[in-house]
Amino acid sequence: MDLQQQYELEKLFKTKLHQAMRFYLETCTHCGLCVDSCHVYNSMPELRYTAVGRSEVVRKIFIKYFKMQGKIAPWLGETMEMDEFVLDKFYEAAFSCTGCRRCMVHCPFGIDTQQIMSIAKLLLVGADKEPKILSMLSDMSINKGEQVEESRAQYAEAIKNIEPEVEAIWPTPPGKKTIPLEVEHADVLYVALSGKHSIISAAAIFNAADINWTLSSFEAVNFGAFLGDPQRTKKIGNRIIAEATRLKVKTVAIVECGTAFRIMKQQFGKLPFEVVTFVELIAKYHQEGKIKLNKVMTEKVTYHDPCQIARNAGVYEAPRYILNQLSDDFVDMIPNREENWCCGGGGGLVAAGDFEFRMKSSKVKADQMKKTGATVVATACENCHSQLHDVCGYYNTNQHVEFISHLAAQGLAK
Amino acid sequence: MADYTAVKTFDYKGLPCPMPIVKMSQEISRIAVGEVGEVLSTDPGSIADFPAWAKTTGHQVLDIVQEPGLIKIYVKRVK
Repeated sequence: MDLQQQYELEKLFKTKLHQAMRFYLETCTHCGLCVDSCHVYNSMPELRYTAVGRSEVVRKIFIKYFKMQGKIAPWLGETMEMDEFVLDKFYEAAFSCTGCRRCMVHCPFGIDTQQIMSIAKLLLVGADKEPKILSMLSDMSINKGEQVEESRAQYAEAIKNIEPEVEAIWPTPPGKKTIPLEVEHADVLYVALSGKHSIISAAAIFNAADINWTLSSFEAVNFGAFLGDPQRTKKIGNRIIAEATRLKVKTVAIVECGTAFRIMKQQFGKLPFEVVTFVELIAKYHQEGKIKLNKVMTEKVTYHDPCQIARNAGVYEAPRYILNQLSDDFVDMIPNREENWCCGGGGGLVAAGDFEFRMKSSKVKADQMKKTGATVVATACENCHSQLHDVCGYYNTNQHVEFISHLAAQGLAK
Repeated sequence: MADYTAVKTFDYKGLPCPMPIVKMSQEISRIAVGEVGEVLSTDPGSIADFPAWAKTTGHQVLDIVQEPGLIKIYVKRVK
Protein backbone atom coordinates (compact mmCIF):
# COMPACT_ATOMS: atom_id res chain seq x y z
CA MET A 1 0.00 0.00 0.00
CA ASP A 2 1.51 3.34 -1.01
CA LEU A 3 1.55 6.51 1.08
CA GLN A 4 -1.16 8.15 -1.03
CA GLN A 5 -3.61 5.31 -0.33
CA GLN A 6 -2.69 5.35 3.36
CA TYR A 7 -3.42 9.07 3.38
CA GLU A 8 -6.78 8.61 1.61
CA LEU A 9 -7.83 5.90 4.07
CA GLU A 10 -6.73 8.03 7.01
CA LYS A 11 -8.97 10.81 5.70
CA LEU A 12 -11.89 8.39 5.45
CA PHE A 13 -11.24 7.17 8.98
CA LYS A 14 -11.33 10.76 10.18
CA THR A 15 -14.83 11.27 8.75
CA LYS A 16 -16.06 8.71 11.30
CA LEU A 17 -14.43 10.31 14.34
CA HIS A 18 -17.38 12.02 15.95
CA GLN A 19 -17.47 12.44 19.72
CA ALA A 20 -19.26 9.16 20.41
CA MET A 21 -16.85 7.22 18.19
CA ARG A 22 -13.83 8.66 19.98
CA PHE A 23 -15.44 7.57 23.25
CA TYR A 24 -15.93 4.02 21.90
CA LEU A 25 -12.33 3.83 20.70
CA GLU A 26 -10.71 5.32 23.80
CA THR A 27 -12.77 3.81 26.61
CA CYS A 28 -12.51 0.01 26.36
CA THR A 29 -10.84 -1.36 29.50
CA HIS A 30 -10.65 -4.92 28.19
CA CYS A 31 -12.92 -6.07 31.02
CA GLY A 32 -14.16 -8.96 28.88
CA LEU A 33 -17.86 -8.60 29.62
CA CYS A 34 -18.56 -8.47 25.88
CA VAL A 35 -16.88 -11.80 25.21
CA ASP A 36 -19.83 -14.02 26.12
CA SER A 37 -22.30 -11.63 24.48
CA CYS A 38 -21.43 -12.55 20.92
CA HIS A 39 -23.35 -15.38 19.27
CA VAL A 40 -20.35 -16.05 17.01
CA TYR A 41 -17.99 -16.48 19.98
CA ASN A 42 -20.54 -18.62 21.82
CA SER A 43 -20.79 -20.88 18.79
CA MET A 44 -17.11 -20.73 17.72
CA PRO A 45 -15.04 -19.71 20.77
CA GLU A 46 -12.12 -17.79 19.26
CA LEU A 47 -11.06 -14.37 20.56
CA ARG A 48 -11.20 -12.83 17.07
CA TYR A 49 -14.97 -13.40 17.28
CA THR A 50 -15.46 -11.21 20.34
CA ALA A 51 -16.43 -7.55 20.29
CA VAL A 52 -13.14 -6.54 21.85
CA GLY A 53 -11.19 -8.77 19.48
CA ARG A 54 -12.90 -7.34 16.42
CA SER A 55 -12.42 -3.77 17.55
CA GLU A 56 -8.76 -4.13 18.48
CA VAL A 57 -7.38 -3.69 14.97
CA VAL A 58 -9.48 -0.55 14.46
CA ARG A 59 -8.26 0.80 17.82
CA LYS A 60 -4.62 0.19 16.90
CA ILE A 61 -5.05 2.14 13.66
CA PHE A 62 -6.82 4.90 15.62
CA ILE A 63 -3.91 5.18 18.06
CA LYS A 64 -1.35 5.14 15.26
CA TYR A 65 -2.89 7.93 13.19
CA PHE A 66 -5.00 10.00 15.58
CA LYS A 67 -3.38 9.84 19.04
CA MET A 68 -0.20 11.44 20.26
CA GLN A 69 1.25 8.10 21.32
CA GLY A 70 0.97 6.71 17.83
CA LYS A 71 2.55 9.78 16.29
CA ILE A 72 5.57 10.10 18.57
CA ALA A 73 6.07 6.66 20.09
CA PRO A 74 4.41 3.96 17.97
CA TRP A 75 7.11 1.52 19.10
CA LEU A 76 5.40 1.41 22.51
CA GLY A 77 3.00 -1.03 20.94
CA GLU A 78 -0.76 -0.91 20.57
CA THR A 79 -0.42 0.59 17.08
CA MET A 80 -0.56 -0.78 13.55
CA GLU A 81 0.32 0.75 10.23
CA MET A 82 -2.38 0.87 7.56
CA ASP A 83 -1.51 -1.85 5.06
CA GLU A 84 -2.99 -4.80 3.21
CA PHE A 85 -2.74 -7.03 6.29
CA VAL A 86 -4.83 -4.53 8.25
CA LEU A 87 -7.45 -4.44 5.50
CA ASP A 88 -7.66 -8.23 5.61
CA LYS A 89 -8.15 -8.00 9.38
CA PHE A 90 -10.83 -5.32 8.87
CA TYR A 91 -12.67 -7.64 6.49
CA GLU A 92 -12.49 -10.58 8.87
CA ALA A 93 -13.72 -8.44 11.76
CA ALA A 94 -16.47 -6.50 9.98
CA PHE A 95 -17.96 -9.38 8.04
CA SER A 96 -17.97 -11.82 10.93
CA CYS A 97 -20.03 -9.28 12.89
CA THR A 98 -23.75 -9.04 12.22
CA GLY A 99 -24.06 -5.62 13.88
CA CYS A 100 -26.59 -7.07 16.31
CA ARG A 101 -25.28 -4.91 19.23
CA ARG A 102 -25.83 -7.57 21.88
CA CYS A 103 -22.31 -6.76 23.09
CA MET A 104 -23.31 -3.11 23.53
CA VAL A 105 -26.07 -4.15 25.94
CA HIS A 106 -23.50 -5.89 28.15
CA CYS A 107 -20.66 -3.37 27.86
CA PRO A 108 -20.48 -1.24 31.04
CA PHE A 109 -19.61 1.76 28.86
CA GLY A 110 -22.13 1.03 26.10
CA ILE A 111 -19.41 0.74 23.48
CA ASP A 112 -21.06 0.25 20.10
CA THR A 113 -19.07 -2.36 18.19
CA GLN A 114 -21.35 -1.95 15.17
CA GLN A 115 -20.19 1.67 14.98
CA ILE A 116 -16.55 0.65 15.28
CA MET A 117 -17.08 -1.92 12.53
CA SER A 118 -18.58 0.83 10.38
CA ILE A 119 -15.07 2.34 10.23
CA ALA A 120 -13.66 -0.97 8.99
CA LYS A 121 -16.43 -1.27 6.40
CA LEU A 122 -15.96 2.29 5.15
CA LEU A 123 -12.22 1.81 4.75
CA LEU A 124 -12.80 -1.44 2.87
CA VAL A 125 -15.07 0.48 0.47
CA GLY A 126 -12.39 3.16 0.15
CA ALA A 127 -9.76 0.55 -0.64
CA ASP A 128 -12.06 -1.28 -3.10
CA LYS A 129 -11.88 -4.38 -0.89
CA GLU A 130 -15.54 -4.59 0.11
CA PRO A 131 -17.73 -7.63 -0.68
CA LYS A 132 -18.50 -6.96 -4.34
CA ILE A 133 -21.95 -8.48 -4.13
CA LEU A 134 -22.97 -5.82 -1.59
CA SER A 135 -21.66 -2.89 -3.65
CA MET A 136 -23.36 -4.34 -6.72
CA LEU A 137 -26.68 -4.70 -4.88
CA SER A 138 -26.34 -1.14 -3.58
CA ASP A 139 -25.64 0.25 -7.04
CA MET A 140 -28.52 -1.78 -8.44
CA SER A 141 -30.87 -0.16 -5.91
CA ILE A 142 -29.58 3.29 -6.82
CA ASN A 143 -29.99 2.61 -10.54
CA LYS A 144 -33.48 1.33 -9.87
CA GLY A 145 -34.30 4.69 -8.34
CA GLU A 146 -32.98 6.52 -11.39
CA GLN A 147 -34.91 4.47 -13.94
CA VAL A 148 -38.13 3.76 -12.06
CA GLU A 149 -40.31 5.53 -14.64
CA GLU A 150 -39.15 3.12 -17.37
CA SER A 151 -40.57 0.11 -15.54
CA ARG A 152 -43.67 1.68 -14.00
CA ALA A 153 -46.22 0.25 -16.47
CA GLN A 154 -44.77 -3.26 -16.35
CA TYR A 155 -44.57 -3.11 -12.55
CA ALA A 156 -48.25 -2.18 -12.41
CA GLU A 157 -49.04 -5.21 -14.59
CA ALA A 158 -46.99 -7.48 -12.30
CA ILE A 159 -48.85 -6.14 -9.27
CA LYS A 160 -52.19 -6.69 -11.03
CA ASN A 161 -51.19 -10.30 -11.66
CA ILE A 162 -50.79 -11.05 -7.95
CA GLU A 163 -54.08 -9.45 -6.90
CA PRO A 164 -56.03 -12.74 -7.12
CA GLU A 165 -53.72 -14.13 -4.42
CA VAL A 166 -54.70 -11.22 -2.14
CA GLU A 167 -58.38 -11.69 -2.96
CA ALA A 168 -58.06 -15.37 -2.01
CA ILE A 169 -57.16 -14.28 1.54
CA TRP A 170 -59.48 -11.29 1.89
CA PRO A 171 -61.97 -9.85 -0.62
CA THR A 172 -61.28 -6.20 -1.39
CA PRO A 173 -64.00 -3.82 -0.16
CA PRO A 174 -66.22 -2.47 -2.96
CA GLY A 175 -64.83 0.59 -4.73
CA LYS A 176 -61.27 -0.06 -3.58
CA LYS A 177 -58.22 -1.27 -5.49
CA THR A 178 -56.76 -4.54 -4.24
CA ILE A 179 -53.17 -3.25 -4.44
CA PRO A 180 -53.22 0.51 -4.93
CA LEU A 181 -50.27 2.29 -6.55
CA GLU A 182 -49.38 5.97 -6.70
CA VAL A 183 -52.17 7.13 -4.36
CA GLU A 184 -51.62 10.72 -3.25
CA HIS A 185 -52.50 11.60 0.36
CA ALA A 186 -52.69 7.93 1.30
CA ASP A 187 -52.59 7.29 5.03
CA VAL A 188 -49.92 4.64 4.59
CA LEU A 189 -47.16 4.07 2.04
CA TYR A 190 -46.20 0.42 2.38
CA VAL A 191 -42.63 -0.33 1.33
CA ALA A 192 -42.27 -4.03 0.55
CA LEU A 193 -39.45 -6.14 -0.86
CA SER A 194 -39.14 -7.54 -4.38
CA GLY A 195 -40.88 -10.81 -3.54
CA LYS A 196 -44.64 -11.13 -3.78
CA HIS A 197 -44.77 -12.83 -0.36
CA SER A 198 -43.88 -9.44 1.12
CA ILE A 199 -46.88 -7.81 -0.56
CA ILE A 200 -49.75 -10.32 -0.54
CA SER A 201 -50.27 -10.77 3.21
CA ALA A 202 -49.84 -7.06 3.87
CA ALA A 203 -52.35 -6.13 1.17
CA ALA A 204 -54.94 -8.50 2.64
CA ILE A 205 -54.44 -6.99 6.12
CA PHE A 206 -54.65 -3.39 4.85
CA ASN A 207 -57.83 -4.22 2.94
CA ALA A 208 -59.39 -6.05 5.87
CA ALA A 209 -58.74 -2.97 8.00
CA ASP A 210 -60.12 -0.76 5.22
CA ILE A 211 -57.03 1.45 5.20
CA ASN A 212 -56.28 4.12 2.58
CA TRP A 213 -52.87 2.74 1.59
CA THR A 214 -50.55 2.62 -1.39
CA LEU A 215 -47.68 0.35 -2.40
CA SER A 216 -44.20 1.78 -2.93
CA SER A 217 -42.36 1.34 -6.24
CA PHE A 218 -39.19 0.50 -4.34
CA GLU A 219 -37.85 -2.29 -2.19
CA ALA A 220 -37.28 -1.37 1.43
CA VAL A 221 -33.92 -3.04 2.00
CA ASN A 222 -30.91 -0.74 2.16
CA PHE A 223 -27.86 -2.61 0.88
CA GLY A 224 -25.77 0.52 1.40
CA ALA A 225 -26.17 0.03 5.15
CA PHE A 226 -24.99 -3.59 4.92
CA LEU A 227 -22.05 -2.39 2.86
CA GLY A 228 -21.23 0.36 5.33
CA ASP A 229 -21.19 3.14 2.75
CA PRO A 230 -22.99 6.24 4.07
CA GLN A 231 -23.33 7.85 0.63
CA ARG A 232 -24.95 4.83 -0.95
CA THR A 233 -27.12 4.36 2.16
CA LYS A 234 -28.38 7.91 1.78
CA LYS A 235 -29.12 7.59 -1.94
CA ILE A 236 -31.06 4.36 -1.44
CA GLY A 237 -33.11 5.75 1.44
CA ASN A 238 -33.74 9.01 -0.37
CA ARG A 239 -35.66 7.17 -3.13
CA ILE A 240 -38.32 6.21 -0.59
CA ILE A 241 -38.30 9.58 1.16
CA ALA A 242 -38.81 11.35 -2.19
CA GLU A 243 -41.69 9.03 -3.08
CA ALA A 244 -43.38 9.42 0.32
CA THR A 245 -42.97 13.20 0.16
CA ARG A 246 -44.30 13.40 -3.40
CA LEU A 247 -47.34 11.32 -2.48
CA LYS A 248 -47.82 13.31 0.75
CA VAL A 249 -48.45 10.21 2.85
CA LYS A 250 -48.85 10.31 6.61
CA THR A 251 -47.05 7.08 7.49
CA VAL A 252 -44.37 4.95 5.87
CA ALA A 253 -44.76 1.32 6.92
CA ILE A 254 -41.67 -0.77 6.33
CA VAL A 255 -42.05 -4.44 5.44
CA GLU A 256 -40.71 -7.08 7.81
CA CYS A 257 -37.05 -6.19 7.21
CA GLY A 258 -35.08 -5.10 10.25
CA THR A 259 -32.33 -3.06 8.64
CA ALA A 260 -34.72 -1.32 6.27
CA PHE A 261 -36.84 -0.24 9.24
CA ARG A 262 -34.05 0.88 11.54
CA ILE A 263 -32.17 2.80 8.87
CA MET A 264 -35.27 4.70 7.75
CA LYS A 265 -36.43 5.29 11.32
CA GLN A 266 -33.12 6.33 12.87
CA GLN A 267 -30.69 7.56 10.23
CA PHE A 268 -32.56 10.09 8.14
CA GLY A 269 -33.31 12.71 10.75
CA LYS A 270 -36.70 14.37 11.04
CA LEU A 271 -39.02 13.26 8.24
CA PRO A 272 -42.38 14.69 7.14
CA PHE A 273 -44.05 11.37 7.87
CA GLU A 274 -44.10 8.72 10.59
CA VAL A 275 -42.00 5.56 10.10
CA VAL A 276 -43.28 2.27 11.53
CA THR A 277 -42.61 -1.39 11.00
CA PHE A 278 -45.57 -3.24 9.52
CA VAL A 279 -46.02 -5.49 12.57
CA GLU A 280 -46.73 -2.40 14.66
CA LEU A 281 -49.59 -1.54 12.30
CA ILE A 282 -51.05 -5.04 12.48
CA ALA A 283 -51.16 -4.83 16.28
CA LYS A 284 -52.58 -1.29 16.13
CA TYR A 285 -55.34 -2.26 13.68
CA HIS A 286 -56.32 -5.13 15.97
CA GLN A 287 -56.27 -2.99 19.09
CA GLU A 288 -58.45 -0.39 17.35
CA GLY A 289 -60.90 -3.07 16.25
CA LYS A 290 -60.18 -2.59 12.56
CA ILE A 291 -59.26 -6.24 12.09
CA LYS A 292 -60.18 -9.41 13.93
CA LEU A 293 -57.84 -12.35 14.30
CA ASN A 294 -58.83 -15.96 14.95
CA LYS A 295 -56.75 -18.39 16.94
CA VAL A 296 -55.88 -20.38 13.85
CA MET A 297 -52.51 -21.69 14.95
CA THR A 298 -52.54 -25.26 16.16
CA GLU A 299 -48.79 -25.63 16.61
CA LYS A 300 -46.66 -24.26 19.45
CA VAL A 301 -45.10 -21.00 18.31
CA THR A 302 -42.13 -18.96 19.48
CA TYR A 303 -40.81 -15.58 18.35
CA HIS A 304 -37.36 -14.48 17.25
CA ASP A 305 -36.74 -10.78 18.01
CA PRO A 306 -34.92 -9.34 14.97
CA CYS A 307 -31.99 -7.32 16.34
CA GLN A 308 -32.70 -4.25 14.21
CA ILE A 309 -36.39 -4.15 15.13
CA ALA A 310 -36.15 -5.16 18.78
CA ARG A 311 -32.84 -4.46 20.55
CA ASN A 312 -31.90 -1.62 18.22
CA ALA A 313 -35.32 -0.02 17.69
CA GLY A 314 -37.39 -1.03 20.71
CA VAL A 315 -40.23 -2.93 19.02
CA TYR A 316 -40.77 -5.85 21.41
CA GLU A 317 -44.44 -6.20 22.26
CA ALA A 318 -46.38 -5.75 19.00
CA PRO A 319 -45.26 -9.10 17.50
CA ARG A 320 -46.00 -10.91 20.76
CA TYR A 321 -49.41 -9.26 20.96
CA ILE A 322 -50.26 -10.51 17.46
CA LEU A 323 -49.02 -14.05 18.13
CA ASN A 324 -51.12 -14.20 21.31
CA GLN A 325 -54.21 -13.35 19.23
CA LEU A 326 -53.38 -16.19 16.84
CA SER A 327 -52.34 -18.87 19.31
CA ASP A 328 -52.97 -20.21 22.80
CA ASP A 329 -49.56 -21.82 22.76
CA PHE A 330 -47.00 -19.03 22.44
CA VAL A 331 -43.69 -19.43 24.25
CA ASP A 332 -40.84 -16.96 24.44
CA MET A 333 -37.28 -17.94 23.66
CA ILE A 334 -34.84 -17.68 26.55
CA PRO A 335 -33.21 -15.16 26.46
CA ASN A 336 -35.48 -12.76 24.60
CA ARG A 337 -36.13 -9.10 23.74
CA GLU A 338 -32.90 -7.06 24.16
CA GLU A 339 -31.04 -10.20 25.25
CA ASN A 340 -32.12 -12.36 22.34
CA TRP A 341 -29.43 -14.12 20.32
CA CYS A 342 -28.93 -12.77 16.80
CA CYS A 343 -30.03 -15.05 13.96
CA GLY A 344 -26.49 -14.93 12.59
CA GLY A 345 -27.39 -13.55 9.18
CA GLY A 346 -27.46 -9.80 9.76
CA GLY A 347 -25.05 -7.16 8.54
CA GLY A 348 -25.24 -8.38 4.96
CA LEU A 349 -24.02 -11.88 5.80
CA VAL A 350 -26.99 -13.62 4.18
CA ALA A 351 -26.14 -11.98 0.86
CA ALA A 352 -22.36 -11.91 1.21
CA GLY A 353 -21.25 -14.31 3.91
CA ASP A 354 -20.27 -17.88 3.36
CA PHE A 355 -22.87 -20.47 4.27
CA GLU A 356 -20.68 -22.60 6.54
CA PHE A 357 -19.67 -19.61 8.67
CA ARG A 358 -23.27 -18.45 8.96
CA MET A 359 -24.36 -21.89 10.10
CA LYS A 360 -21.49 -22.66 12.47
CA SER A 361 -21.77 -19.24 14.09
CA SER A 362 -25.47 -19.84 14.76
CA LYS A 363 -25.18 -22.97 16.87
CA VAL A 364 -26.23 -21.02 19.97
CA LYS A 365 -29.30 -19.82 18.04
CA ALA A 366 -30.25 -23.33 16.98
CA ASP A 367 -29.93 -24.56 20.58
CA GLN A 368 -32.05 -21.65 21.82
CA MET A 369 -34.80 -22.34 19.28
CA LYS A 370 -34.86 -26.09 19.99
CA LYS A 371 -35.22 -25.53 23.73
CA THR A 372 -38.55 -23.75 23.25
CA GLY A 373 -40.22 -26.95 22.05
CA ALA A 374 -42.07 -24.87 19.46
CA THR A 375 -42.51 -26.12 15.93
CA VAL A 376 -43.13 -22.66 14.47
CA VAL A 377 -40.54 -19.89 14.73
CA ALA A 378 -42.19 -16.57 13.88
CA THR A 379 -40.16 -13.51 13.05
CA ALA A 380 -40.57 -10.04 11.54
CA CYS A 381 -37.50 -9.73 9.30
CA GLU A 382 -36.75 -11.16 5.86
CA ASN A 383 -33.06 -11.48 6.66
CA CYS A 384 -33.76 -13.37 9.90
CA HIS A 385 -36.33 -15.53 8.11
CA SER A 386 -33.81 -16.61 5.46
CA GLN A 387 -31.09 -17.28 8.01
CA LEU A 388 -33.32 -19.14 10.48
CA HIS A 389 -34.78 -21.24 7.67
CA ASP A 390 -31.21 -22.34 6.83
CA VAL A 391 -30.36 -22.87 10.52
CA CYS A 392 -33.43 -25.08 11.03
CA GLY A 393 -32.31 -27.25 8.12
CA TYR A 394 -28.62 -27.33 9.08
CA TYR A 395 -29.29 -28.33 12.70
CA ASN A 396 -32.39 -30.45 12.02
CA THR A 397 -34.49 -28.53 14.53
CA ASN A 398 -37.76 -29.80 13.01
CA GLN A 399 -39.12 -26.26 12.99
CA HIS A 400 -40.37 -23.99 10.27
CA VAL A 401 -40.08 -20.22 10.09
CA GLU A 402 -43.00 -17.90 9.40
CA PHE A 403 -43.49 -14.17 8.98
CA ILE A 404 -45.81 -12.48 11.50
CA SER A 405 -47.68 -10.86 8.60
CA HIS A 406 -48.28 -14.21 6.91
CA LEU A 407 -49.61 -15.75 10.11
CA ALA A 408 -51.82 -12.71 10.78
CA ALA A 409 -53.24 -12.79 7.24
CA GLN A 410 -54.14 -16.45 7.71
CA GLY A 411 -55.94 -15.54 10.94
CA LEU A 412 -58.01 -12.67 9.55
CA ALA A 413 -61.66 -13.05 10.55
CA LYS A 414 -64.91 -11.27 9.71
CA MET B 1 -41.11 -12.83 -32.78
CA ALA B 2 -38.00 -12.75 -30.63
CA ASP B 3 -34.72 -12.89 -32.51
CA TYR B 4 -32.92 -14.76 -29.75
CA THR B 5 -33.07 -18.20 -28.19
CA ALA B 6 -32.51 -18.76 -24.50
CA VAL B 7 -29.88 -21.43 -23.97
CA LYS B 8 -30.53 -21.90 -20.27
CA THR B 9 -33.35 -21.33 -17.79
CA PHE B 10 -32.64 -19.89 -14.35
CA ASP B 11 -35.50 -20.73 -12.01
CA TYR B 12 -35.64 -18.12 -9.26
CA LYS B 13 -39.31 -18.48 -8.39
CA GLY B 14 -40.18 -17.83 -4.75
CA LEU B 15 -36.67 -16.97 -3.55
CA PRO B 16 -36.29 -14.53 -0.65
CA CYS B 17 -34.71 -11.08 -0.99
CA PRO B 18 -32.11 -10.54 -2.44
CA MET B 19 -31.43 -14.03 -3.74
CA PRO B 20 -32.71 -13.70 -7.35
CA ILE B 21 -30.17 -10.95 -8.05
CA VAL B 22 -27.43 -12.63 -5.99
CA LYS B 23 -27.94 -15.90 -7.85
CA MET B 24 -28.12 -14.18 -11.23
CA SER B 25 -24.80 -12.47 -10.48
CA GLN B 26 -23.24 -15.81 -9.58
CA GLU B 27 -24.84 -17.87 -12.34
CA ILE B 28 -24.57 -15.57 -15.36
CA SER B 29 -21.20 -17.21 -15.98
CA ARG B 30 -23.00 -20.47 -16.76
CA ILE B 31 -23.83 -19.07 -20.18
CA ALA B 32 -21.28 -17.83 -22.70
CA VAL B 33 -20.76 -14.20 -23.67
CA GLY B 34 -23.39 -13.34 -26.28
CA GLU B 35 -25.79 -16.07 -25.13
CA VAL B 36 -29.23 -15.45 -23.63
CA GLY B 37 -30.65 -16.89 -20.41
CA GLU B 38 -34.29 -17.07 -19.40
CA VAL B 39 -35.00 -16.10 -15.78
CA LEU B 40 -38.21 -17.31 -14.17
CA SER B 41 -39.41 -15.17 -11.29
CA THR B 42 -42.51 -14.62 -9.21
CA ASP B 43 -41.27 -11.32 -7.75
CA PRO B 44 -42.98 -8.15 -8.97
CA GLY B 45 -39.80 -6.33 -7.95
CA SER B 46 -37.87 -8.29 -10.58
CA ILE B 47 -39.45 -6.06 -13.22
CA ALA B 48 -37.21 -3.19 -12.13
CA ASP B 49 -34.48 -5.15 -10.34
CA PHE B 50 -33.15 -6.96 -13.40
CA PRO B 51 -32.85 -3.92 -15.70
CA ALA B 52 -31.13 -2.06 -12.84
CA TRP B 53 -28.84 -5.07 -12.28
CA ALA B 54 -28.04 -5.16 -16.00
CA LYS B 55 -27.18 -1.46 -15.99
CA THR B 56 -24.96 -1.98 -12.95
CA THR B 57 -23.12 -5.03 -14.25
CA GLY B 58 -22.98 -4.27 -17.98
CA HIS B 59 -25.26 -7.09 -19.13
CA GLN B 60 -28.48 -6.61 -21.08
CA VAL B 61 -32.15 -7.35 -20.45
CA LEU B 62 -33.66 -8.10 -23.86
CA ASP B 63 -37.26 -8.61 -22.86
CA ILE B 64 -39.65 -9.13 -19.97
CA VAL B 65 -42.72 -11.28 -20.56
CA GLN B 66 -45.48 -11.49 -17.96
CA GLU B 67 -48.00 -14.27 -17.49
CA PRO B 68 -50.36 -14.70 -14.53
CA GLY B 69 -48.15 -15.91 -11.71
CA LEU B 70 -44.91 -15.86 -13.69
CA ILE B 71 -42.43 -13.31 -14.98
CA LYS B 72 -39.90 -14.30 -17.67
CA ILE B 73 -36.83 -12.11 -18.06
CA TYR B 74 -34.44 -12.63 -20.98
CA VAL B 75 -30.89 -11.68 -20.07
CA LYS B 76 -27.95 -11.49 -22.51
CA ARG B 77 -24.48 -11.99 -21.10
CA VAL B 78 -22.42 -9.15 -22.56
CA LYS B 79 -19.01 -9.67 -20.92
